[in-house]
Amino acid sequence: MEATKYRCNLDILSRPDGSVLFCEGKTTVIAGLYGPVEVKIQKAHIDKATVDCHYRPKSGLPGVEDRLYESFIRNTCETSLVAALFPRSAVLIMLQEMQNDKQLISCAVNAACMACLSSGIDMKFMFGAVTAFLTKDEELVLTPPIIDKDIKALFVIVFESTEGRILACHTEGCFSKEQFNQAVSICEAQCINVFKFFKQTLLDNK
Amino acid sequence: MAEQYKSLHPVKYYRDYLSHNIRPDGRVFDTFRPVILNTGSIDTADGSALSKLGQTTVVCGIKAELCKPKAESPNKGFVVPNLDLPPLCSPKFRPGPPSDQAQVLSQLINDIIENSQCIDLTDLCIFPDKLAWCLYIDFICLDFDGSVVDACIIALVGALKTVKLPFVDYDAALDNIQVNLENTRPLPVHSIPVSTTFAIFDDKIILADPTVEEENLCTGIIVIVLKDDELCCVHKPGGSPLSSDELLGCIEKSKKKVPLMRDLLKTALQDVG
Repeated sequence: MEATKYRCNLDILSRPDGSVLFCEGKTTVIAGLYGPVEVKIQKAHIDKATVDCHYRPKSGLPGVEDRLYESFIRNTCETSLVAALFPRSAVLIMLQEMQNDKQLISCAVNAACMACLSSGIDMKFMFGAVTAFLTKDEELVLTPPIIDKDIKALFVIVFESTEGRILACHTEGCFSKEQFNQAVSICEAQCINVFKFFKQTLLDNK
Repeated sequence: MAEQYKSLHPVKYYRDYLSHNIRPDGRVFDTFRPVILNTGSIDTADGSALSKLGQTTVVCGIKAELCKPKAESPNKGFVVPNLDLPPLCSPKFRPGPPSDQAQVLSQLINDIIENSQCIDLTDLCIFPDKLAWCLYIDFICLDFDGSVVDACIIALVGALKTVKLPFVDYDAALDNIQVNLENTRPLPVHSIPVSTTFAIFDDKIILADPTVEEENLCTGIIVIVLKDDELCCVHKPGGSPLSSDELLGCIEKSKKKVPLMRDLLKTALQDVG
């Protein structure tokens, strides 16, 4: 199985507190993080920071479909960040899709994690996402099949770095419980590489 | 006394109950609330159903309209689901444009319809590239008491089963549409998706079919949708991390609900005929 190539440029933008250009295979996302910053009164929590995520597609305005991704990434980041350190403030995560080769969600999640790391905000753990594809021939692969119709199901699984537990999960298409179980284990194995890549990138950028 | 305690220390109140393996409403961790389904409740819609899951109430109405298929998929119709969370259903919602939560849930329902393949879009085509049905599936939540997606999916299946589409004669040469309202056909429903919501309390206790109080206090939500023996959605948007065994345990628990829902649907559709 060919391994997915990860590439990443840290601090490519000057204004955000943390920014990153993240490539996963042929999928590319730019992420920027501002925080802790001022928050609107209606959104403020008295005991923790409000985490907000904004996602922009490569063309047009974000639609209803993108709201689901936003909430997915926001909840993932909220769990990982130590939000209790910054009450009555907000952490804003901006994501800009550059190129999508079917691994958009996992790439966006990884970009969000790298942006958090690069800004130096307090985190409980890192999180990494892996996309697995179930092909028409009932085979599980990590590299996206070239033809859309060959994909029977798609799994995006987000793991946390301390104990390797599942932080978030999103699926498309139909599959059996055994296939889901298999997908979890191959994603778990691949996720170790993602965390290795994160650490290596941070060491290289010291 | 319990009432004051509940409002002052809601989390502690729940913890005290859960440490005795029972929930404040008398259920154990993996029991579901009673479900009520009424089909064909709205005469003016082409298909409709009302579902209650404990206190959670959702009305689903399906309206069919004629439209032109997209050029890239000339033999497919459209399905447009939309969930409305009006201020009536919970103090959390304000009047105005749809809240983020309503948009996220609408999209989740759309994904479930797509993934479960319960509607084959080619069934909605009348004449390739010229005429197709567009099904507007509107959900209105009347009482927001947790596990809204579950209630929506039950109402969705109930409503789809009652859809009657009129026969349409289309003359391509003259571009003439004739709708025969007396002669109708049912919409083929290819699978029955069954959705189950779980809440994670205190990072370890998993509660099936949570009420809105449990959803607010818990640290994570999981939505699992099954169709027959296959899974068609495992949605866990962040929240407390779970081991894969715990997640598979949830899938196993949600399997218990499938035969129950099937029986319910059968009974509910009997009186409609």
